[in-house]
Amino acid sequence: MSLRMLLFQLSLLPIVAVGEPLPTVASINLCSDQLVLSVADPEQIRSVSWLAADAEESMLAEQARRYPLNYGSAEEILRFAPDVVIAGMYTSTFTRQLLRDLGYRVVDLAPENNIADIERNLRIVGAALQRADRAESLIRQMRATVAAFVASRHSEPVAAVAIRPGGFTVGAETLAEELMRLAGLRNVAAENGLDRWGSLSMETLLLSAPSLLIYTGYRRDERSLANLVLEHPALARLARKTATATVAAKYWSCGLPESLHSVELLKRAVSSRQ
Amino acid sequence: MKSSAASFNWPLHAALVAALLFVIPLALLTGRSSAGPTFGFGGPDLAAAILFEIRLPRVLLGLLVGGTLGLCGAALQGLLRNPLAEPGLLGVSSGAAFGAVLVFYFGLAAAQSLLLPLGAVAGSLAALATLYALAGRRGDFLGIILAGIAINAFAAALTSLALNFAPSPYAALEILFWMLGSLADRSLAHVWLVLPLMIPGWAMIVLAARGLDALTLGEDTAQSLGFSPKTTQWLVIGGTALAVGAAVAVAGVVGFVGLVVPHLLRSAVGYHASRLLGPSFLAGAVLTLSADLAIRLMPSGPELKLGVVTALLGAPFFLRLVLRSRRGSLA
Repeated sequence: MSLRMLLFQLSLLPIVAVGEPLPTVASINLCSDQLVLSVADPEQIRSVSWLAADAEESMLAEQARRYPLNYGSAEEILRFAPDVVIAGMYTSTFTRQLLRDLGYRVVDLAPENNIADIERNLRIVGAALQRADRAESLIRQMRATVAAFVASRHSEPVAAVAIRPGGFTVGAETLAEELMRLAGLRNVAAENGLDRWGSLSMETLLLSAPSLLIYTGYRRDERSLANLVLEHPALARLARKTATATVAAKYWSCGLPESLHSVELLKRAVSSRQ
Repeated sequence: MKSSAASFNWPLHAALVAALLFVIPLALLTGRSSAGPTFGFGGPDLAAAILFEIRLPRVLLGLLVGGTLGLCGAALQGLLRNPLAEPGLLGVSSGAAFGAVLVFYFGLAAAQSLLLPLGAVAGSLAALATLYALAGRRGDFLGIILAGIAINAFAAALTSLALNFAPSPYAALEILFWMLGSLADRSLAHVWLVLPLMIPGWAMIVLAARGLDALTLGEDTAQSLGFSPKTTQWLVIGGTALAVGAAVAVAGVVGFVGLVVPHLLRSAVGYHASRLLGPSFLAGAVLTLSADLAIRLMPSGPELKLGVVTALLGAPFFLRLVLRSRRGSLA
């Protein structure tokens, strides 16, 4: 097996030596796709996953459609023969291990649970793709935007709660929570002791009397049991006398500089309330 | 497997081996690219890697996992003299799945991918130990089935609990997907991991074959014929735990094969528990390999999970069988 591996790796050598100086890349996870699309030079990108091209899932769908798409299997990646494979920590362990066994450099990214995580992942991708400058400039822009949000934030935070299909919400230690705070909101669910992505009972929701209801829509037009929860009569009654805002789920499911757009949207919803 | 020459069903074995020899090359030739199924091995520089590192492990594991599920299903149905018995019934599959989920939950799978199968094997052995503690001393079949159902429910509840507390929605999703079974992107390392567990597991079941035949005449008669029901029972259960635990460890939970395959073959082998073992191994491998091939032949899109396809392929056969046997018994 080791001889075959060696032969295989030797067969890759000419490609690396003759190719352009910047390493080529394939990504097999929605969040890493979007980081790659943000940081890489277009010449570098061999493939991103099919979810990245879906406007419902991805903030950069338009951009992703310019590249060949993959479904995240090792055999596809072999055909794209990238120098670097970028994946999520929860992308199939089998695929990532197999690609490593085949001699690929596989970079695993942890999920982005706050803005600092976005910066960390931008830097990791920047380093792997030799595009550290691009990563740093994105981080600088992001920090400037965050500073502007902090400066314009009201002194008194507004009580808000996010409602996801299926009765789920957004708790503490999530990117969404940090973005809500940036918009001048305080997260009622987190104050009720909720961590990460738990569910909030309808009763707790009504008792907490939020001033802003945030729907984090995901395929809202498609009928599903999960979406039916959003039509609960008690929730509808609360929504009639409370300000509401809708943030597309894609802004909060992966962390990108573009996730900050949701802060602007929330700020507008808060100011129109007053 | 071990059977006198006179009773050995040559045509059936030959047909099953022929089916295997037909499906294995097809499976090796069929790959999947973003556009859907592809045939051949890509360019000459890719051929070796695609054939030996990606498709061969997948086909070998399909053979081993499918064969194991078929063999263990046949042995358990013989042992418990209950046509609804299957490896999942003893809590072995759900115990293994829970072991693997725990590895996921603590984020260990990210550190070292072989920890995942090892967790599953530990889970299946823990399920077996519990089964023995609950039902071992009395050792009657009803007790074993009831204990198995209890362990199954308990392990399933623990798995749901772990899902509830999963560190991220992505981790939860990955756990869920894994529990539907898949052979995608496994490597030869997984083949070497399961073989040392599967081979002794199969051997234990083969050793129990004659005892299973005796048991069809009833426990007392078996005892008087010199076969200890208890020995037979623990050979089958221990062998199943080892072999199925290893199968779940690398492929996740692949349903239906262990239940449906022995039924399809039972009438062909004349209702002898021991003669059912070999054909069930072969047919289990054929069904699993065909299902995995069907996954790759689907038009473009993300891969379906193996457990979904084995159930889709197996259920209609099973229903037909049920309908036919009902008509037969009414007539």
